[in-house]
Amino acid sequence: MSFGPVVLVALKELADAFRDRRSILTMAATALLGPLLISFVLNQRAVQKGAIERIDVPVAGAERAPELVDWLRRQDGVSIVAAPKDAEAAVRGRGMDIAVVIDDDFPADLARSRPATVRLFTDSTRAAGGPKAQRVAALVDRFGAEVAAQRLIVRGVSPEVAAPIRLEQVDVANSQQRGATLLSVVLSFLAMAIITSAMQIATDSTAGERERGSLEALLLNGTPRWQLAAGKWLAASAAGFAGMILTLATLSWVLSRLSLEQLGVRIHLGPHELFLLALAMGPLALLLPAIQTCLACFARSYKEAQSYAVVLIIPVVAAGALLTLYPIADAAWAHAVPLLAQYGAGMSILGGKPVSAAALAGAGLEAVGIAIVLVGVVARMLATERIVFGR
Amino acid sequence: MIRVENVRKRFSRAAAVDGVSFSAADGRVTGLLGPNGAGKTTTLRLACGLMKPDAGTITIDGADVASDPQLAQSRLGVLPDASGLYGRLTAREHIRYFGALRGLRGAELARRVEHWIAALGLATVADRRVAGFSHGERTKVALARALVHDPQNVLLDEPTNGLDVASTRAVREVVRGLRREGRCVVFSSHVMQEVSALCDRIVIIAAGRVVAEGTPGELLAATGVTSLEDAFMALVGLQ
Repeated sequence: MSFGPVVLVALKELADAFRDRRSILTMAATALLGPLLISFVLNQRAVQKGAIERIDVPVAGAERAPELVDWLRRQDGVSIVAAPKDAEAAVRGRGMDIAVVIDDDFPADLARSRPATVRLFTDSTRAAGGPKAQRVAALVDRFGAEVAAQRLIVRGVSPEVAAPIRLEQVDVANSQQRGATLLSVVLSFLAMAIITSAMQIATDSTAGERERGSLEALLLNGTPRWQLAAGKWLAASAAGFAGMILTLATLSWVLSRLSLEQLGVRIHLGPHELFLLALAMGPLALLLPAIQTCLACFARSYKEAQSYAVVLIIPVVAAGALLTLYPIADAAWAHAVPLLAQYGAGMSILGGKPVSAAALAGAGLEAVGIAIVLVGVVARMLATERIVFGR
Repeated sequence: MIRVENVRKRFSRAAAVDGVSFSAADGRVTGLLGPNGAGKTTTLRLACGLMKPDAGTITIDGADVASDPQLAQSRLGVLPDASGLYGRLTAREHIRYFGALRGLRGAELARRVEHWIAALGLATVADRRVAGFSHGERTKVALARALVHDPQNVLLDEPTNGLDVASTRAVREVVRGLRREGRCVVFSSHVMQEVSALCDRIVIIAAGRVVAEGTPGELLAATGVTSLEDAFMALVGLQ
C-alpha cells in the first residue's frame, strides 16, 4: 500500500484549483464576509445601545408644557433640543429619528384634567428610531403616571388603587448565554468557510473531471481508485481547512477591535482559544469536503454538483440555530452528533469553559471515520461504469 | 500482445459488443475499423479495464484485464475516446503528472517527459496552459500522457479524428515509431484511409461483431473488389 499517488493527486488538485481565480475569490470572500457581517451587526447594536443611553429629544411647542420638558431634561442622558416647525416632515424627510410635538391644547387639557395630547413622530422602517422612540414613550408614560399619582393624592385617594398589578421582569440570562447566539453564528461561519473553500475542488475534481473528459485517462493509470478518491478528498479538505483558518484569523482581528463587554457579550479569543478552536473544528474540514466530494460524484454535471455542494450549508446553519434555541450543547447525545459536537466544543472554548480532551478526540475521530467511509463510497463510484461514463 | 476472446457487453437497450474476438500482435499496428456505433469504443474500454465484459476474456501480455486490471493497465497506454485535459495545467505538467502516477520518479521521469515533448513537437508550447491549445496540440498532449511510461501495448481510440494534416502526420509518425520498437498498437477509426495508411492487420467491426479480419490484401481478395473502401462497404453490409 503506497500513499505516494494520494499525495500526487492531492497536490495536482490543489495546484489546479489555486490557479483558478474564482476559487481564490470565493475563499477570500467568505473569509472576509462572515467576520465583516458579524462586526457590522455588533457595531450596529453598540451604536443603538449608545443611542438610547444618550438621546437628543427634539420637542416642538416646549413652551406649552414646561413641567413635562423640565422633567424630561432632568432624566439621565436626555437633552432637549428645539424641533423645526413641521416636525412630521423632518422625521419623514429622514433628517430626524424622532420628534415630539406638544399639542396646542396641551396646557388647557392638562389644567382641566383631560388627557392632554403629546405626539411622538417616528419612522418604523428605520432601525435607529425604534429604541429611541421606545425610551421617550416610556419616559412620557412615567411623567403621566407621576401626574396621575399627584391628582389622586389631591383627591384623597391612594395611587396604589389605580395600580392593581405590579409587573416585575427578571432577565435571568447571564452575559455568556446572551453571547450564545453570537458564538453559534461565529461557528456557523467557520463551517461555511470550509464548505465554500472546498467546493471548487470537490466538484471540479469529480463531476468536473468527468464533464471535461479527463476522468477516463485518470482511471487508466493503474492507480487504485481509493488513492484517487483519497487524493481528491485531501485536496478539498486542505482548501477547506485553509478557508477556515483564514476566517478564524479575520474573525479574531475583527472581534479584538470591538468592545464586546459593552454589549454584555463575553467572548474569549486569545491564541490559546484560537488553537483549540482550530483543533475542535478541524475534523469538520475533513468531514464536510468528504460529503461534498461524495455528493458531487452523484451529480450528472458540474453545475448540478455545485448546487449539491451548497445544499450542505443548510444543516450547517441549522445546527448553529438549534444550539441557540435549545440548551442541548451539553447533552450527551449532542456530543455524538457531528456538527453539534464540534459546535458544542467550540462554544465551550469561546465561552471560556473547559473542554474535555476525550470528548474532543471522540468527536474528531467520529467525523474522520465518517469521512473515510465516504471516501470509500467515492472510490466505489469511480469503479462504477454508470458514474464514470455518465448516465 | 492483446488477446480479445468472445467478449460480450450489453447495455440496457442493446448489445454493444456481441462476441468480439481478435488478437493484436507485437510489432504490428492492428486497425479496428467500423462505422460509428459499431462497438469500437466499447471494445477498447473493455480492453483497458474501464468496463467489465458480461462474458469473454481479454488479456494484455497474458494479464487478465478483468481479474487483475492493475497489472494489465501497467502494460498498457491508452488514448481514450474522451481525452480531456486540465485547462489550468501546462502540457509539461500533464505529462509529468501522468508519468508520476505511473510510478516514474526523478531523472527517469524528467527524461521521459522531455522525450515525448520532443517526439510530438510540443517544445514551443510545453509550458503554456493547455486551455488555449488547438485540437491538434491537445491530442498530442493526450498522446504523450498515454505513452509517458513506455507501455508495450497501446490502444488509440480514433486518434486522428478531426486533426489537420500536420497533426495527423505527427500522430502517424508516433504510431510507426511504436511499431518499429516492436510494440503492439491497436488503432480504431471509422476512416478507411487512416487504417489503410497505417495498419498491418485490419479487424472490421459492425453491429458489435467482427465481420472480417486480415491484411488489407486478404480483405480485398475475400470480397473480390479492387478498393478497400468497397471492401469495407461490402463487409459492413452497407452495400
